[in-house]
Amino acid sequence: MAASIEWLYLAAAVLFILGIRDLSSAETARRGNTLAAIGMLLAIIGTLQHQAIVRIDWIIAGMVIGGLIGLLMAVYMPMTAMPERIAIVNGLGGAASGLVGISEVYRHVIVPQAAGSVVTFDAFHTGVAGFEIMLGSLTFSGSMIAYGKLRGLVSGSPLTYPGQNIVNVAWLVGMLAVISGLVTGSLAPEFFFVLAGLALVFGVMFVLPIGGADMPVVIALLNAYSGLAAAATGFVLNNKVLIIAGALDGSSGLLLSLLMCKAMNRSITNVLFGAVGAAVSSGGSTDQGDPQTISVVEAAERLFDARRVIIVPGYGMAAAGAQFAVREVADLLKSRGTEVRYAIHPVAGRMPGHMNVLLADANVPYDDLVEMDEINPDFADTDVALVMGANDTCNPAARHAEGSPIFGMPILDVDQTSQVIVIKRSMSPGFAGIPNEMFLAPNCHMLFGDGKQVAEQLAETLSL
Amino acid sequence: MKVVVPRERVAGETRVAVTPRTVKRLVRAGLSVHIETGAGSASGISDAEFIEAQATIVSDPHSLYTDAGIVLGVQPPDAETIARIPAGTFLVATINPLIEHDLVNRLAEQRVTSFSLDLVPRIARAQSMDVLSSMSTLAGYQAVLLAAMSLPSIVSYLTTAAGTLHPAKVLVLGAGVAGLQAIATARRLGALVWGYDIRPVVAEQVESLGATFLDLDVAAEDAEDAGGYAREQTQDQAQRQQAAMTAHLAEMDVVITTALIPGRPAPELVTTEMVAAMKSGSVIVDLAAERGGNCALTRPGTNYTTDSGVTILGPLNLCCTLPAHASLMYANNVVNFLLHICRDASIAVDTDDEVTIGTLVTHDGQVVHERVRQVLEA
Repeated sequence: MAASIEWLYLAAAVLFILGIRDLSSAETARRGNTLAAIGMLLAIIGTLQHQAIVRIDWIIAGMVIGGLIGLLMAVYMPMTAMPERIAIVNGLGGAASGLVGISEVYRHVIVPQAAGSVVTFDAFHTGVAGFEIMLGSLTFSGSMIAYGKLRGLVSGSPLTYPGQNIVNVAWLVGMLAVISGLVTGSLAPEFFFVLAGLALVFGVMFVLPIGGADMPVVIALLNAYSGLAAAATGFVLNNKVLIIAGALDGSSGLLLSLLMCKAMNRSITNVLFGAVGAAVSSGGSTDQGDPQTISVVEAAERLFDARRVIIVPGYGMAAAGAQFAVREVADLLKSRGTEVRYAIHPVAGRMPGHMNVLLADANVPYDDLVEMDEINPDFADTDVALVMGANDTCNPAARHAEGSPIFGMPILDVDQTSQVIVIKRSMSPGFAGIPNEMFLAPNCHMLFGDGKQVAEQLAETLSL
Repeated sequence: MKVVVPRERVAGETRVAVTPRTVKRLVRAGLSVHIETGAGSASGISDAEFIEAQATIVSDPHSLYTDAGIVLGVQPPDAETIARIPAGTFLVATINPLIEHDLVNRLAEQRVTSFSLDLVPRIARAQSMDVLSSMSTLAGYQAVLLAAMSLPSIVSYLTTAAGTLHPAKVLVLGAGVAGLQAIATARRLGALVWGYDIRPVVAEQVESLGATFLDLDVAAEDAEDAGGYAREQTQDQAQRQQAAMTAHLAEMDVVITTALIPGRPAPELVTTEMVAAMKSGSVIVDLAAERGGNCALTRPGTNYTTDSGVTILGPLNLCCTLPAHASLMYANNVVNFLLHICRDASIAVDTDDEVTIGTLVTHDGQVVHERVRQVLEA
């Protein structure tokens, strides 16, 4: 390799290392980014001088198209979509490694074998190429699934099935067996493609059981894998800067994942494998997953068709000042002959009698208010429960989750109702700070929005 | 097991630790209930009603304690009564152990196992046993009515042919249970209500009742401790608060103060100068009078009007003015607590249970409550 290329590669490697180091603090992060970018530029310039380059026009076309796409992404994708951007870019990096691996295998193994001549790959290179293809492919598919989860194209809830961890481990072992078979020569080189296929599927299998909320950790980890893939590519191509950059990427990615898990107070094994077989553990589920949502119109329809409705007010209704609109909704339903009552939990709100005061203010007749012990048996025979900003008071975790702060507190049996509609601003937890299992139940739909506005819209829709 | 309920002897105490409904619950749990004659009369409960609930009425206060298993009370028993309680008996009452050191020692010497309900931990599970919340709710409500009766004007907004009566302006200092209930009650009467607390997190709670949170710009980030109580302020914080508050006080018709710190004297929120700035005819209701008062000019136990025309009310034990509901709530707290620690008609002292650890003051001749021990040793 020409000396000038070596110097450029060295400069690039140094700039990569300095760049990553600078990324660890906010003040120097910008500079780090720039240094790493310059390093990349030098590496590309160095590579372009490589004698082995056959067709410069393909390369220029690739650079222009890739550069354009990158520019458009940088300019138009919003900062909030950063994790998605990183997922795509990372995935494509993995794909690049995988493709390079396949092309090298083609050049050094498949073509010579087909021509009957000597295979120019030794065992080491064959093995490293196998790893490169495996890591590159799984990084690509895994990152694409991560992107899908972040985007909502793939369900954010963990997709699990019994024995999943065993299957995944067996799959991994299978892929390693294929690589060793390729190295020893007991498997035909076509098995490199089989390996690529297996790895693509593995990437999907690996990411699906991880909850959408944990995607940032997964992406950091996949980043690490693509770094390892790049390092493997470096070994295959005898390219030092790739080995260095890949190693940097691999180690920093892994460290980052571990740090993120520590900040979340969960172990990395819990993040990656935790969802499998986990029923609602004591203390309540750590991953929220996706609730069913419903629109105002759909909610109004269900209320319209209901014979019996129980309204469950909570602190959220108080904070939103929605009591007047709630009364309007109740009046409209009652005028159609629907039975409407309010279930008042003894500790709903932030002071004793909080709900009473507000509902009295809104002129709700005292007779419509029913205390918990009296109304609990009725939820099972009620068509719709309309939960207005109540959370802990109807969280089933209180019945069974022994580590939970609300364990042992008597609750309203709202989850026994045929249909539960929850009006809430977001999935944020209530006073006890824990997620509510009921929100993810199949009979529960979330109507997201400001309590007062939503109630007013419901009233308006019902009056039509 | 024999449950004993003496008549409360402290002057002015109108509550009783059981009601006919709670007696029925205790009897169903396998306990036998013996109540001193006339125990419920101040709360409007007759002996006959207790008998109907399957309690036994005892006329002789001495024989009441023979073979007693559990003694239930509102106020702690006096020295003479403690001497009559057999060793190993359980006592459930509001002992105020951080302040009543002699009493605590006497209970330990007498080998009484005592639980103090004012120490119930403020966790979700124990809300049904929390006497402080129950009594504060009533005190907050009553404070507003007292203030209304002391005002020379009405509280609500009326536009009439004989002129417009403007609504009273009410400021509630301290937005705990009592403060929030006071805010709610003042709103029900039609007043314009402001609420203030050193803990900025309660702003939303104040506003959820339709009142305005008074922003003085002096709140601290760590104003709330682990139990949700306000921390004592620093000198500097207190001074800045007072300066900012004075301008607002000058506009108010009613100021209700509710600030208490567990085990410590009440913090001074309203100084003499601040009272001087208030309008003639305005009223201060100091709910912290029992612990010295939040207002410098409060005379605990009495009401009077200053030379500048400000009426200062320093009521003690306001919940006693609402005996029917005070007894109802207190008795419910007692029975919920008792049934929590009772297993098969006898009491298990479960040292793993958060509620037990929080409320157990003396046991087996020792003072076992961590915090009480620290205060006693100091």
